[in-house]
Amino acid sequence: MKAVMIVMDQAHYDQVVQDLASLNIRGFTSWKEVYGKGSQDGIPHYGTHAWPSINNAILTVVEDDRVPLLLNYLKEEDKRSIHLGLRAFVWNIEEMI
Amino acid sequence: MTSYSGAGAEDVEENVTRPLEDVLNSTEKLKEIYSTSKDGVSMIILEFDFGTDMNAVMNDVRDKVGLIAGFLPDGTEDPMIMKFSSDMVPVMVLSATAEQSSGALYKILDEQVANPLNRISGVGTVSVGGAPQREIQVNVVPAKLEAYNISLEQIAQVIATENVNVPAGDFDIGTQTYMLRLEGEFRESRDLNDIIVGNSRGKAVYLRDVATVVDTLESRVQENYTNGRRSASIVIQKQSGANTVDIANTVKKQLPELQKNLPPDIEIVAVMDSSDYIRVSIDSLLETILLALIIVGLVVLFFLGRWRATIIIMVAIPISLIGSFIYLYLTGNTINIISLSALSITIGLVVDDAIVVLENIATHLERGSRPRQAAIYGTEEVSLSVIASTLTIIAVFLPMTMVGGFAGVMFKQLGWMVSIIITLSLIISLSLTPMMSAFMMRSSEEMKVNRFDRWYRKRILPLLDGLDHWYSKLVNKVSRKRGMAFGMVVLIFIVSLVISILTLKTEFMPASDNNAISMTLELPTGTRMEVARDMGHRIARALEAKYPEIEIISFNAGTASESNVFAAMQSTASHIVSFTMRLTEAKNRGKTIYDISEEIRVDLSKIPELQRYRVQPGGGMGMTAGSNVELDIYGYDLTTTDRVAAELRQLMEGVDGLRDITISREDYRLEYQIQFDREKLSLNGLTMYTAANAVRNRVNGLTMSRYREEGEEYDIRVRFDEQYRQSIEDIENILIYNPMGVGVRVRDLGTVVESSSLPKINRQDRQRIVTVAGTIYGRALSEVVGDVNELLTEITLPEGVQVEMSGSLEDQQEAFQELGFLLVVVTLLVYIVLASQFESLIYPFMIILTIPFAFTGSLLLLAITGQPLGIMGLVGVIMLVGMVVKNGIVLIDYINLNRERGMSIITAVVHGGRSRLRPVLMTSLTTILGMVPLAIGTGQGSEMWKSLGISIIGGMTFSTIITLVLIPAIYTMMAGSGMRRSRRAHRRKLLARR
Repeated sequence: MKAVMIVMDQAHYDQVVQDLASLNIRGFTSWKEVYGKGSQDGIPHYGTHAWPSINNAILTVVEDDRVPLLLNYLKEEDKRSIHLGLRAFVWNIEEMI
Repeated sequence: MTSYSGAGAEDVEENVTRPLEDVLNSTEKLKEIYSTSKDGVSMIILEFDFGTDMNAVMNDVRDKVGLIAGFLPDGTEDPMIMKFSSDMVPVMVLSATAEQSSGALYKILDEQVANPLNRISGVGTVSVGGAPQREIQVNVVPAKLEAYNISLEQIAQVIATENVNVPAGDFDIGTQTYMLRLEGEFRESRDLNDIIVGNSRGKAVYLRDVATVVDTLESRVQENYTNGRRSASIVIQKQSGANTVDIANTVKKQLPELQKNLPPDIEIVAVMDSSDYIRVSIDSLLETILLALIIVGLVVLFFLGRWRATIIIMVAIPISLIGSFIYLYLTGNTINIISLSALSITIGLVVDDAIVVLENIATHLERGSRPRQAAIYGTEEVSLSVIASTLTIIAVFLPMTMVGGFAGVMFKQLGWMVSIIITLSLIISLSLTPMMSAFMMRSSEEMKVNRFDRWYRKRILPLLDGLDHWYSKLVNKVSRKRGMAFGMVVLIFIVSLVISILTLKTEFMPASDNNAISMTLELPTGTRMEVARDMGHRIARALEAKYPEIEIISFNAGTASESNVFAAMQSTASHIVSFTMRLTEAKNRGKTIYDISEEIRVDLSKIPELQRYRVQPGGGMGMTAGSNVELDIYGYDLTTTDRVAAELRQLMEGVDGLRDITISREDYRLEYQIQFDREKLSLNGLTMYTAANAVRNRVNGLTMSRYREEGEEYDIRVRFDEQYRQSIEDIENILIYNPMGVGVRVRDLGTVVESSSLPKINRQDRQRIVTVAGTIYGRALSEVVGDVNELLTEITLPEGVQVEMSGSLEDQQEAFQELGFLLVVVTLLVYIVLASQFESLIYPFMIILTIPFAFTGSLLLLAITGQPLGIMGLVGVIMLVGMVVKNGIVLIDYINLNRERGMSIITAVVHGGRSRLRPVLMTSLTTILGMVPLAIGTGQGSEMWKSLGISIIGGMTFSTIITLVLIPAIYTMMAGSGMRRSRRAHRRKLLARR
């Protein structure tokens, strides 16, 4: 099992949730209104007057074989509108109940 | 109105007017108190502020009059209190011309026209004037009376006692009760001849023996002529609060039907129709609104280059405009000139919010969002700043609803309408606009390129890009050489201010053209009505021949009867001829009513018989009448004030642009007085009262009974035959019978002398007053006032005489004061709104700095176009406060944003300027071009809004250009010095630490 943390501009949210469903991924946790900026480029997402954009975050724990499929979907979504910003991070799950 | 019969003007003034005025002066909310004291009548007019509750005032006045009534001299009747308001202005004046039927005209019109019209809901009174009423005249031959030793009073008495119906009670016959009645009333006027008025040597004297009975029309009445034919006027007044247009429409619908029942020679035409003006003005405003709508649409399309976006924005216009009708419905107001103009003013403004929202949504789309998300988040981001900029507009228009006085009446509705429309547009821009964009806008990759897009990209886009580029270079230069730029701007400000102050003229209300001219001609006092009438005919024919623009020309001559309510409000006398002319519609003729009036004045000046004449374009009613200048001369002594008035009149005649200069005090009137000798009277057993009455009965006539026919009553008037009351000798020969039955001639009781007296005394604010008034033609109020003021410094006034200027000037000053105060309040409010939005005091100050430029801009354009600054122009200036700051807000907001994003001051200014140029230009252009139809409007009633349109266009254009230069300059200056200050403070802190 692996955990996938997706942080993206809130405009991507609906599409990503749809992608999860189409990959048969049922469980996920999401946070609305998270702030931050990318390491290389892209506009900051601070939700302020100067930088009004806002991110959403989704954490989902999936079977190992789902990970590349999901990342493919996300890559495609990110490519569709590079200015909005979408990042995903994957790490191992040691234990769960 | 109090009558005190038998007293002269001065006695009336002293004994009746003065005490009443003293009491009434303490009435609440009283603005001015005017009074006229005439022979036997004292008339006091109280003027209240606009919007005063008349019912409460009426009660107050009634109480006050009740207090004093007991102290008035014996012989005065109880004062009559009447309520007048602008509603008294007639809605329509119809004129009925007749040939064969002219004798029975009054009865026909009263029964078949006035009564049906009176039944229309909303119609107040319908009065028929100018048609003589039927009257039975008993013309007595004095010599025969003397021969039979019968007095005139006796005859009247006999007629009254003969002409009666008496119920004599009930009586029973068998099982039935019957009523006993005595019918002595005359069945026909001819019956009068056969009544016995006395006995002479045992023989009955019949009325026909001493008098002739004529069934005829009353004499000495007002006569009306329309287009040269004898006519009667029907004046229709509305009930207060009724709708003028509705009434006029119903009247017009009913007229053809009424006409069917009338004899074929009677023809009814509308001489004056106040609804015409209203209707045409509304039509031309509707046209203006449609035009503005199209222009705004084109501007939006030009800047956005997208069909869909343009449609989304345009949808906001009708919805917010029509939404405001809810307000009209709830408050019971109607679609009138004010509410329609509110619509046309706001067309350019309502799109602003939608534009800002849509623009941000478009940015999101370009960044790659899907339309739905772009709509949601794009709207969220700008919602606060959109709300703030809407608040500034509301801060301008809402205080307008609280203005008092005359300006208040006009602008209350305007303020509410605009506030509501703007609020609605805000709600729409935050709800409907994003919703529509979510459905209609395409994300950048899905966008299809059609022919229009290709054309737009090839032709327009490079133009706009070039403009952006040029402007960013300019801002760069300005922000680097900010001191010089600021100096230049200030220089331009000063120069334009000087130019506009030097050339600007002011006025009260713009004069508009309502197709009507009224004219009053005065022949020497005491001229017979027949002479005046002939003069009227002559002038009417001449005018009709000379001016093809005149459609209907009608005039009246003679004294109106007391029963005519409308005529009682005008001054009528045998020597006065009043004309009413109706012209063809304004757009179908080359000359305005003012030009034509001026030409008529020249024509009239060539007629030597005319003592005075007044030509009033606009019919002299309400606000359409143009401006006038009045000089009020206060002073008790009649001769001194007369002299001053004459002197002033002569001086004013020399002033360029003043016409129709008149003195309010009437000429001394020539009259004959019978001076009875009291001693002789008492020797003969007579009193002054009985003697005077006897003379009056013989000359004016005695009406003691009425002849009844078909439910109508007609006076039976007994008096001397006309040929026996035409000379002084006839008067002197009048035989007065004393209680013993002995006749004494007037000649033996006193003398008949010729004398002159002042017909009336006018007072204002409890002081005697003479007003010298002039109408302005071809020049602005301020210019003429300046000239007249100069004249006033030249003349030296006698002691106890004061001269004050009033008229339009007074109204203008009052309105300007109110509006000036409003301007200050509005500016402060806007500052407060901005300060809370920016959470700073400096940025709002920069924005407020652009307001003066708007003022000079509007004054400058007014001066260039030759329009004087009136209330409308000033209101335009006030509106500018709200509109102009929008540009500043957009610019500074974005520059701040750029700085927060970490740009240096100059980069932030240049970058912000470049990216905000298009929205600023777009919102400004929609406002400016949306006003153009209003400013260049040629339709009827457009004069009113012209100066408003011009002042907004001028102010907006000038301030937009200046803002685009000034804001970058000031911003860099202030932010630069702020930066240096904080650096210094920082350095000091560092040094202190060390």
